[in-house]
Amino acid sequence: MPGGNAPLISLSWQPVPGAPGARIYPLIRKIDTTSSNSYLIQTDDVILLIDPGGLAEQSAQLALLIEEIREERDRPVFVFLTHAHIDHFLGTQFIPMFAYPEVAVFAVQEAGAAALECGDGKLTQADLLGQKISPVRIALHLISDVRSGYSAVPISLAFSNGATITITRGQTRGGLAEERIEFGTGPSLEVYHTPGHSPDSICLRMGGLLFIGDVLFAANPGIAGICGWDQCALIRSLDGIEVLIADGGIDFVLPGHGRVITAYDAGLMFTAIRADALALENIAELNHERAIETAAFAEDCMEQVNELFTIMAGRLYYVSYVMEELGEEDVAAEVNRLIKGDVIDELLEAFRSFADEHHKRSGVSIHLALKAGQVIFKLERSFNGAELSHIIDPALARRAARLLSDYTTMLRGFCPPRELAECDLVRHLESLVTGLSIPSCSDDDLLSSDDEDSTFTRLLLRRIGMQPLLSDVEFSFTAAEKHIVATVDQDDLTDLITYILEDLVGTGSDAITLKLNRDNKDAIITLRGTGATASDAMKKGGGFLMRLCDRTGGTLSCSTDGNGRQYSIRIGGLI
Amino acid sequence: MEITKTNRDGAIILSVAGRIDTATAPALEQAINKEIESGNRKILLNFSAVTYISSGGLRVLLATAKKLKNPGDKYALCSLAAEVNKILKLAGFTSIFSIYPSEGDALAGW
Repeated sequence: MPGGNAPLISLSWQPVPGAPGARIYPLIRKIDTTSSNSYLIQTDDVILLIDPGGLAEQSAQLALLIEEIREERDRPVFVFLTHAHIDHFLGTQFIPMFAYPEVAVFAVQEAGAAALECGDGKLTQADLLGQKISPVRIALHLISDVRSGYSAVPISLAFSNGATITITRGQTRGGLAEERIEFGTGPSLEVYHTPGHSPDSICLRMGGLLFIGDVLFAANPGIAGICGWDQCALIRSLDGIEVLIADGGIDFVLPGHGRVITAYDAGLMFTAIRADALALENIAELNHERAIETAAFAEDCMEQVNELFTIMAGRLYYVSYVMEELGEEDVAAEVNRLIKGDVIDELLEAFRSFADEHHKRSGVSIHLALKAGQVIFKLERSFNGAELSHIIDPALARRAARLLSDYTTMLRGFCPPRELAECDLVRHLESLVTGLSIPSCSDDDLLSSDDEDSTFTRLLLRRIGMQPLLSDVEFSFTAAEKHIVATVDQDDLTDLITYILEDLVGTGSDAITLKLNRDNKDAIITLRGTGATASDAMKKGGGFLMRLCDRTGGTLSCSTDGNGRQYSIRIGGLI
Repeated sequence: MEITKTNRDGAIILSVAGRIDTATAPALEQAINKEIESGNRKILLNFSAVTYISSGGLRVLLATAKKLKNPGDKYALCSLAAEVNKILKLAGFTSIFSIYPSEGDALAGW
C-alpha cells in the first residue's frame, strides 16, 4: 500500500518525502504530446530540473523560478532529461538560461546525449512531430559506458557551472544499471537505465519519489513503435522498475505526462503495461511516412464511421418513432437508449473540428492519427453491436466495429488482418444479395409468433428496423458462368459490395444491376445504378473504397454518365 | 448553419444552409417550432445547401414529423444533396415523410 505522505500539489513547493532538506515544485500538465510535466527540486547543494518540457513558455516559467531561488541562494543548476524526446526539452531551446553550460548543465543518458549533440531528428522524434532542433551540448552523460567498469567506485566530476559531483555505478536487484549522484552533503539522486520507450530512457529517484518519464505510455498505440522503441528492453525495464517499487521506500511515482500516482497504483499499472507490451511483437516502426499513412486512413475511416453511426442512430430513431405511433412508448424509449447519439455526435464533431484545424495549420500527421485513436477508443464504448443487431441490420454494426478495430490495429503498428482464401464469387454474391433483398423477419414470422408479448415485440422491432437495402429497387444479378473462383478476403468483399450498393440505393437508383463476368484470368464485378444522382462517394470516400478493394484483392473504378453510375471491381488470378 | 424563411402557396419554406450537427440542430428545431407555434401547419424544409446531417439533426426531423401529423398538416423535405439523401434513405426516414426533388415538386405534390 502507498506510504503515508500527502500527495504532491502542482505549482507549489513542498518537501521531498524521504529526502531531508530537499523541496520539489511539480509542474503537472494536462496530458498531450506537446509538452511533458516538469519537476524542479532544490537542496542546499544544487537545483535540479527534471524535463523542462516542450513549450517555450513552460521553460521560461521554470527559468524564472530558478532565477528566484538562485537569488535566495546561488547554487549550480542541472537539467535532467528522462529521455531526449522533444516534448521533454524543446522549450529550453528558446530560453537563454539553458543555452549556457556555465549556468545549467544538461544530464542525459549516453544514447540520448549523442542524439542531442548532433541534433538527431529521428531519436528525438522531432521529424515525426514536424519540428527542428538545434544541437544541445550535454556535459553529463549518464549511465555511460566509460564508467561501466567502475562498479561501486565513486568517481568525481567537475562542471563549468561550478558543481563537483560524485557518481557511483551499480546495478539494482532487478537488473537495472544504476548510478548514484551525490551533489554535496544533501540527498543524492539515483539514476536507473530503463530503455524501451527510447534507448536513453531513465528513471530518477530522490527519497520517496521516482520519476519515470514516459514508461507508462510506452505500450500505447501511436507511441509503441516510434524510432528507438524496443519491446524486449521495455519488458526488462518494466520488470526492473517493479522490483524497485516492491523493494519499498518509494511513495509516489511521477510520470512525464499526467498526474502523480502512488507507488501502489503504479505497480498495478506496470502489470497492465507489461501485458500490453508483450502483445506488441513485430509492430511496424512509427516513422514520418507511417504517420502520414495512418492519418490518411484515420480521416477516411472517420468519414465512413460518421456515416454508419448516423445511419444506425437514424434507424433506431425511426424504429422508436414507429413504436411510439403504435402506442408502445416504453419500448420506444428503450430503443432510443440503445445508442448514445449525442455522445457519438459530439465525438465525431470533435474529430472533424480537430481535422479542420489540422489542415488549416498544416499540422503534424501523428497528432491527427492520435486524435482519431482517442475518438475511436471512446466510440467503441458508445455502442453495443450485439444489442443493436437484434433491431437493425447487423451488417451496419459489424462494419462500424470492423472499421474501428482496423484503425486501432493500424495505429498500434500492425496491419489490419486480411484473410485471403478461395471463394466462389457466384455463390458469394448470390448469398450476399439475397440477404439484402429479403426481410429478416417475414410477415409469416410475425403472424406465427407465439402469444407472448416480448417475443412479438422483438419480432416487430426487427421487422421495422431491418428493411432490406434492395427492397425498393429493381435489382438483378447475373453471372456469366456457374462458378467463378478467385482468391479474395470474403469479409472485405462483402463490405465493399455493401458500401457500393448503399451508395447506389442512397443516391436514388431505381434499378441496380450486378454482373459477374470473366475477362481472361480476371473476374469483373460490375454494379450499375440507373437513376443514381451524382455522389461524393468516390470523392469523399474514394480513398477508403479503393483501399478496401485493394484489401479485398481487387482494383476499383467508377464512372458516371447521364443515366447513372457504375462501379467495376477487377479481381485478378482466377482459379 | 443559416435558415431563411419564405412563404409560398400558403406553405412556410425554411431553406437551410450549412451543417446540421450537435451545435446547430437545436437552432433548426427552434425555427421549426416557432412556425408550428404560430399556427403554420404546412412546412417545407429546403435542404439544397445542407452539406451534412448528424443523428441530432435526424432527431429534429422526426420530432417535427410527430408534431405535424394531424389531418391537413403538411411536412416535407426537398432538394437534398446526394449524401444527405443517402443518410435519410438508409435510416428509413423516406417512409415517414416525403422527399421531393424541388420546392415546385413539393408544393405541387401537396
